[in-house]
Amino acid sequence: MRFLEAENLSKTYIRRVKPKDGGLSRLWKRDTQVINALQNASFSIDEGELVGLIGPNGAGKSTTVKLLTGILTPTGGTCRVDGRVPWLERREHVRHLGAVFGQRTQLWWDVPIHDSFLLLRDVYSLDKQAWQRRLDELVDALDLAEFLATPLRQLSLGQRMRAELCGSLLHQPRLLFLDEPTIGLDAVSKLKLRAFLKEENRQQGTTILLTTHDMEDMLALCQRVMVLGRGKLLYDGQLDALLRRYDTVHTLRCTFEGAVDLSALPAAIRQDRDGDAYALTFAPAEIPTGEVLSRVLSCGAIREMTLKEQNIDHLIARMYEEMKL
Amino acid sequence: MMQKLRPYLTAFRVRALLETQYRGAALGGLVTQMFFGMVYAYLYSALYAGRDPAGLQATITYVWLQQMFFRALFMSDGELQQQIMTGSLAYTLCRPVDQHLYWISRNLAAQTVGALMRALPMLLVQFLLPADIRMSLPASPLALAQFTISLVLGIFCVSQIQAIGLACVMKTLDHRGLSSMLSLLLMTFSGNVVPLTLFPDSFQQLIRYQPFAQVLDAPIRMYLEGQPMGDWLINLVIQLMWIAALMALGRWMWARQLRNVTVQGG
Repeated sequence: MRFLEAENLSKTYIRRVKPKDGGLSRLWKRDTQVINALQNASFSIDEGELVGLIGPNGAGKSTTVKLLTGILTPTGGTCRVDGRVPWLERREHVRHLGAVFGQRTQLWWDVPIHDSFLLLRDVYSLDKQAWQRRLDELVDALDLAEFLATPLRQLSLGQRMRAELCGSLLHQPRLLFLDEPTIGLDAVSKLKLRAFLKEENRQQGTTILLTTHDMEDMLALCQRVMVLGRGKLLYDGQLDALLRRYDTVHTLRCTFEGAVDLSALPAAIRQDRDGDAYALTFAPAEIPTGEVLSRVLSCGAIREMTLKEQNIDHLIARMYEEMKL
Repeated sequence: MMQKLRPYLTAFRVRALLETQYRGAALGGLVTQMFFGMVYAYLYSALYAGRDPAGLQATITYVWLQQMFFRALFMSDGELQQQIMTGSLAYTLCRPVDQHLYWISRNLAAQTVGALMRALPMLLVQFLLPADIRMSLPASPLALAQFTISLVLGIFCVSQIQAIGLACVMKTLDHRGLSSMLSLLLMTFSGNVVPLTLFPDSFQQLIRYQPFAQVLDAPIRMYLEGQPMGDWLINLVIQLMWIAALMALGRWMWARQLRNVTVQGG
C-alpha cells in the first residue's frame, strides 16, 4: 500500500446561477448548475516524493488539495493517506499534515509570530524541547530571527511567507501541501524558498504536494507532475517527459569571428539574422542537436553560442491549448 | 487531562494577551459605556423623580453593571467570522483540535479580558461621579462572591449562544445579518436596554429563566440583593442547565456544518 492513494475521487458542487428570464423573478427564482470540480481522479504518491500539481485556473487543484486535507468530503470515490481516510478521521489525519495556502494566513495577524508558534506547539501537543530545537532550526534556515517578536501584520510578504512556512513545519508533518507558496515574492525570496523546500524534502523526507502557476517553481522542485484540467487528471508522470513532448523547437544563437556563410545548412534549420548574431531554429525530432552543432561549426569560427529551449510558460500554454483547456 | 486541554488553555492565553494590545478600543469602549451609563442614570433619576429612592438606587447600579460588562455580550473573537467569509477557515480546519472548544476558548479570553479592561477603569471613574448617579456597593461580601461566580457562568453562557450564531454563519457565509439580530436579542433580553426587573410583572417569571437573562441579569440581581444560599444554588443550576443545553445544541450544529462546510475562494 502506498503512502497516499486516491481512487476515482470526485467532487461536485451545486452553484446558484442567475435564471435565464431575468427581471424581478430573480427575487424568488433560483436556477442551479452542477459543477464537476473533480471527476474520477486516481493517483498515488509515495512517501518522500515531491509532486507538482498544475492546471489552469478552475481546473480542480484547490478542490483536490481540500479533499486530501480532509476539509471537504468528496461526492464519490475514496482516498487514503497513511491508511487514514482524511475526511473521516480528520483530527488524526491533520496532526501529520502541514499546509501553506499562499493567499491566506494561518498565523495570528496581530500577535508576534513567536506567540503564534507557541500556540501551534500546544495545538499539536509538541514536546517543549523538541519544539524549541525544531524552531531554532527553522528560524535559522528561513532567516526569521529578526522578526520573531514582530506582529505578522508588520511583516513584508516575503517575510510573512517564510513565517507561514515555519508555522506549518513546526510539527514535522509527513505530508506538506503548498498552494502557490511563491506568489508575489521577489526573485531572491523565491530562490531561497525553493532551496529551503528542496532541503526540507531531502532531509526530513517530507512528502510535498505543490500547486503553482509558477513553472520555474516546478522546474526547480518537481520531477513528477500531475496536470489537471476541467476537473480531470490529464497527465501524471515525469515533468521532463511532458516538456519534451511539447518542447518541439530549440533555438541556437551564435555569433562568428569574421565572415561566415551559412547557405550550406539544410532547410530544416531556419535562419534569422539579429544584428551580429544568427538565430537558428530547428526541431530536434527532425534533426538532432548534435548534427546541427557540427554543421554550424564547419561553417565558421564561433565566438559565442547559446542553446535555448522554449520558455516553459509557452510550453504549458501550448499544452493547455492542445488539451483544449 | 491537562495534556488534552493544552491547546485550549494556550489559545485562551494568547487571545487574552492579544486583547490587552487593543488599548485604544478599550478606551473608546470606556468612553461610550460611561456616556450610556450616565444617560441611563439621569433618565431613571428623572423617571423615578422622588418616588422609591431604594428602587432608583438599585436601578442605577443595575445600569452601571450592565454597561461595565457590555463587552462580554458581543461576539468578541471576530476572527472566525472573517475566516468563514474569506475562506481562511481552511487553515483552522487543518488543526488537530476540537473546533468548537477551540473557538470557545478564544472567545472566552476576548470576552473576559475585553470586559475587564473596560469594567475596572469604569469602577474607578465611579468615584468621580456625582453621588446621585453613582452605583452602590454590593449588598454584602457574600453578594459580591455570588455575583462573581454567577458572572463567570454568564460569560460561559453567552459564549455558547455566540457559538450557535457562528454555526448559522457557516451556513449563510456572511455574518452581518445574523450579528445584528443576535446583538438585538442579547441586548434586549439580557437587560441591557431596559433592566429586566422593569418588564411587566406578568413577564417576570418567563423572562428571568430564559437563557439571555443568565448572562448579566442573574448575576446583577445577586449583586443587588444577595441571595439565601438555597436560592442562589437554584440560580446556579439554572445557569448550568442553560450552558449545558446550549453547548449540546452548539456542538451538534458545529459538527453538522463543519461536515458540509464550503470553503470560499480558490
